Amino acid sequence: MSGRAALAAAAAVLIVLLFAPLLAPLIRLDISIVSEVLLMAIAAMGVNLLLGYTGLPAFGNAAYFGLGSYGAALSVKYAHAGFAGAIAIGTVAGLLGGLVLGPFLLRRRGIYFGLLSIAFGQVFYFVAYRYTDVTGGEDGMNIARPALEAANAAVPDSAFYYVAFAAFVLCLAAFRTVVASPFGRTLVAIRQNEPRVRYLGLNSDRFIFVALLLAATMTGLAGALFGLLIDFAYPLELDWHQSGDFVLMMILGGGGTVWGPLLGAGLYVIGKDIISTITPLWQIFLGALFVACVLGFPRGILGTAEAALRRRAAQRFTPDDVNAAFDPNAPVEVGRGA
Amino acid sequence: MEHLGPQLFNGLVLGAFYAIVAIGLSLIMNLTGTINMAHGSFMTLAGYLAYTMVLRGTSFWFALVAAPLIAVIVGIAVERTLVRPLYRREPFYSLLMTFGLSLIAEEAYRLIWGANGVPFAPPPALNGALGLGFMVFPTFRIFIVLVLIVAMVALALVLTRTRFGLRLRAAVQDTEMIAALGTNTQVLYAVNFALGIFLAGIAGVLAAGMLGLSPTSGNALLMPAFVTVIIGGMGSLFGSIVGGLLIGIAISMTTLFVPAASEVSMYVLMAVVLLIRPRGLFGEEGIFG
Repeated sequence: MSGRAALAAAAAVLIVLLFAPLLAPLIRLDISIVSEVLLMAIAAMGVNLLLGYTGLPAFGNAAYFGLGSYGAALSVKYAHAGFAGAIAIGTVAGLLGGLVLGPFLLRRRGIYFGLLSIAFGQVFYFVAYRYTDVTGGEDGMNIARPALEAANAAVPDSAFYYVAFAAFVLCLAAFRTVVASPFGRTLVAIRQNEPRVRYLGLNSDRFIFVALLLAATMTGLAGALFGLLIDFAYPLELDWHQSGDFVLMMILGGGGTVWGPLLGAGLYVIGKDIISTITPLWQIFLGALFVACVLGFPRGILGTAEAALRRRAAQRFTPDDVNAAFDPNAPVEVGRGA
Repeated sequence: MEHLGPQLFNGLVLGAFYAIVAIGLSLIMNLTGTINMAHGSFMTLAGYLAYTMVLRGTSFWFALVAAPLIAVIVGIAVERTLVRPLYRREPFYSLLMTFGLSLIAEEAYRLIWGANGVPFAPPPALNGALGLGFMVFPTFRIFIVLVLIVAMVALALVLTRTRFGLRLRAAVQDTEMIAALGTNTQVLYAVNFALGIFLAGIAGVLAAGMLGLSPTSGNALLMPAFVTVIIGGMGSLFGSIVGGLLIGIAISMTTLFVPAASEVSMYVLMAVVLLIRPRGLFGEEGIFG
């Protein structure tokens, strides 16, 4: 997509999101569903950073999400934390999860990394499931959404949306900055050829660890907000099925693209909302979506669109452009599907 | 302390299950890089098929062989149509695809056989108990261990003593070379997948008799099997056996002494193994990084 058109599209999406509390009722969409879309998009961005850009099959991100959720819920219930305090504690819980799991996950790559993230992610599920006294066990734990500290005022769903929106914009801006930075380029280089990155003298482990911490923090923030959105924390938030859903959202929208996670999360959350009111067989649709996406649509919607646009642009190229395209000094291409 | 002996034996039976599921997973993973998230679904399928067969009046012994074979047929169909196109792609795509399959399967079982567990009792011949002087063993559990041992030994013989096993092991090392030397690798992939599913199927029928049968019962064995593969080391069948038994004992012992930590214990074990020996106890360095 040409720079200006992309910018216009991005601005349009943000403006629509800004006025979502007015627009959503027009299509009979509850505003908390739109909040959920934004939070899931943040979590899918975390997967995107690890899988879409760095090429690591991050199949355990639900751990950070659930830690965020439980961090917020437990701090409200046992420490009487306020709204902002609960968000902060949940986010830090996600980060701590990354700090604890990172050194283990870093030891392996490829599908072994995937296995490790699935397995280690599941630890927290069993902890939440088992320690019924503290976490409420299988039933989860209800909380009352705390008041905002500064204003000492309750946060209704409509106001909550703008908190989610602010978090999303913050994460999106951070994400864009990161993937466009030399650090982000190095992550893409690690995906393409890690040994070569090492030969260049870069400690790829350190890059991956930082990416993991970034993803864990973002996902923790999303989880904390999600816990406060539904006033509830439950063990399945930590389960590997939840991790799989995050990966699906990323693939659906387009891995390795900045806006893919938002698109994927939107389709997933709204699709789930509509389909589960029609039929109880949502899970079959979900499974079929996985299969169809992987077999027929591995680059996702935005990834496919970008590739098509690039092909069209390529047809207009002159020989000079082709030479420029093979310029070894040219920046690494970022937007390719994993 | 009088529970220690029986609980240890329970741990070994459980460990044998984990080992056989892990071996099936490993077979598929080593050759094609596919993490088969639907492995548990095939176990559950075989369990339910056996349940239906016994309900319709066939003998348990017939069901024990026939149900895994039907699961194998389904498995080959899935492998040929859905998994095969993904061999050329990044391995995590097949992980995602099989994950989707397991979601579909779970819901389908719920539709066909109901959301609640169904009872599946072993035949009367296996219902007794065997006293060995120092301890009394339930016959069915001894039978389970025997079947699983026979299956593992048979697999080991196939892999080390037959031409097919030779090709399979060669293909794990260098698929292109073995294809260039005239082996049809597609057949190899299909048969290998079928072997993994057959092991899962047998384990599924036996587990149904011991641990119960519900739409998610197979998936409950999948996670310990993953941990088994990691502890035992990728690429090593012997490692899977040792890893499975270790986990089985760890779980049964913590169930006895600290019940709340029973699931977490295997992850602690996994973390320790990874710190000391990242490739797993018997894993080969370099397989899948």
